[in-house]
Amino acid sequence: MSDDSGWLNSYINSLPERGWFQFLSKYVVVPFWVWREGRPKLPGGPRPSPQPSDNTQRMMNLLMPLKDTSPIGRAKAVMALAQNVDEIFAGLDNVGTVHSARFLLVEDYICMISVYDGDFSNYIRDFISTIGSVFDALMHEVEGGDKLYPSEENVEAFIDWVREHDLFQAPDYPFDLFGLQDEQAGRKPNDPPHDLQTLPRSLILQLHANRNISLGGGYRGYPGYSAAQIRRNLGVGW
Amino acid sequence: MENKHLVKDIVHALDIDGGSTERRPVHTVGVGATGFFKPSPMAQRFCVAEHFLPKAAKKGVRVDIRFSNGMGVVEEHDGWSDVRGMAVRFYLENGQSTDLVSMTLPVFFAPTPETFLDFALNARPKPCQRATPWQKIKSYLQLQLPLPDPYPGQTERPNEGAIAFASKHVWAQPAVIDASSIGAPVSYVRATYHAVHTFIVTGKDGQRRWVRFSWAPIAGVLNTDPKKPPEDRYLKKDLEKRLSHGRTERFSLMMQIGEAGDDFNDSTRQWPPHRTRVMMGTLTLNKVREDQQEYFEKLSFNPWHLTDGIDPSDDPVLRIRKDVYAFSSNRRQGTPCPFSGTKG
Repeated sequence: MSDDSGWLNSYINSLPERGWFQFLSKYVVVPFWVWREGRPKLPGGPRPSPQPSDNTQRMMNLLMPLKDTSPIGRAKAVMALAQNVDEIFAGLDNVGTVHSARFLLVEDYICMISVYDGDFSNYIRDFISTIGSVFDALMHEVEGGDKLYPSEENVEAFIDWVREHDLFQAPDYPFDLFGLQDEQAGRKPNDPPHDLQTLPRSLILQLHANRNISLGGGYRGYPGYSAAQIRRNLGVGW
Repeated sequence: MENKHLVKDIVHALDIDGGSTERRPVHTVGVGATGFFKPSPMAQRFCVAEHFLPKAAKKGVRVDIRFSNGMGVVEEHDGWSDVRGMAVRFYLENGQSTDLVSMTLPVFFAPTPETFLDFALNARPKPCQRATPWQKIKSYLQLQLPLPDPYPGQTERPNEGAIAFASKHVWAQPAVIDASSIGAPVSYVRATYHAVHTFIVTGKDGQRRWVRFSWAPIAGVLNTDPKKPPEDRYLKKDLEKRLSHGRTERFSLMMQIGEAGDDFNDSTRQWPPHRTRVMMGTLTLNKVREDQQEYFEKLSFNPWHLTDGIDPSDDPVLRIRKDVYAFSSNRRQGTPCPFSGTKG
């Protein structure tokens, strides 16, 4: 709430909420800035880190675009998973680094949301070796999936594909967006420092490049502990 | 004292129009309450300080708590966006005590005393620069947010200077970003407070860990609606009301454990939120004392006032805060804190 300096000021303050100004922003202002200083797409998944708790309970938000988005195509994707429940549960048990995993059908995507420990590439390799058959069934229903079939013969391509479709995880602290964008553009982070007032523009342009993102790395109720440590301390083994 | 001139310069840099040398230079307006702290059953595993031991859990450790508005002015503007403070004194056995000084900002403005002085001088309140309609439209067209209009009656503010300074000094950016959007809590007990600096705690097994403390309100975090007119005086009344008729409010003391690779001596950066977090105990507030002047305005907290089992890190800002707080305490003739050898 500001002091009252007249109707013009009030009207200007309300511009971001007004339909005509939103239209102008969407179809003119944002495209102009995308043309002028668009940001490259930032890669998906958690960023590499040598620190222990950065390597436990990592989040994967894999969005796989459906080849056929009709109810029949969606049903095929559902069936690909439903017919392989035993494989999925046995695989997750044996991978041993997974805290939780689930599949969602959202709009035109089949999504795998999981929490795992350790390195991303090895996590995917484990998956291919334990439930590759499930992904093979699923890949037939997903855009760009045919060329990855069978996954066990296309391991590195499969890993790259998953990384490409894993959501970019926005930094936990807003200021860090500047540094990530600098690195992606091949510049030294924050050298020179960015004008703080350009942070909203940086965010908007990033959301143009990465339409879907994970808002930070997520909340953890018991951060820093691996699935193996939790199982051991709860006495439920393996 | 480490650097007498630097300490004095910092305090003077914080003195602003509307403040008073007879009051605190920042966090000038506040309200105190009493209560008790009970450690969690697992606290002593991580820290053997007296207030974390099991015997403290039986009857609780008596505490004094002072909540405050961050601004260094004697007028109350509770509803303005501002950092809030929460200083806690734990009264231990044998007349000993220890403090935990925290604020709603999770990071500090500068990594060293010298850079903080630089920041404080540049962020001194200046006459509010109201953006013209054209300037605001220009900001929108640049996909930027114009600075907010001043509050009714607000003639000076630190925003312009702090943002301009932070745009040239990366280390100031996290704190300035957070401070510029921090808002006003509906109650002092509906905000999270961070002790910001790293401390070293010694566990029951002798293991030393580098940690940071935060108070998490059990009532939950809630700010006022920024679109409504701000009230100048409501936080003290709110606390009195909440603690009347035997009612209480509580905070959980959370402790984040740092890892090799984290910067233990730079309080301008938060550690990632997924560091191991331990619930160390519960603080219960039960009364607002009537004599605020004697019990809280004269009381001198100090973030360096620690006890066996808790040591300071090598954070140079934590180190100089010891002397800055002592200097300020002497100047306003506060009840001496343990380091009050410094003449104000």
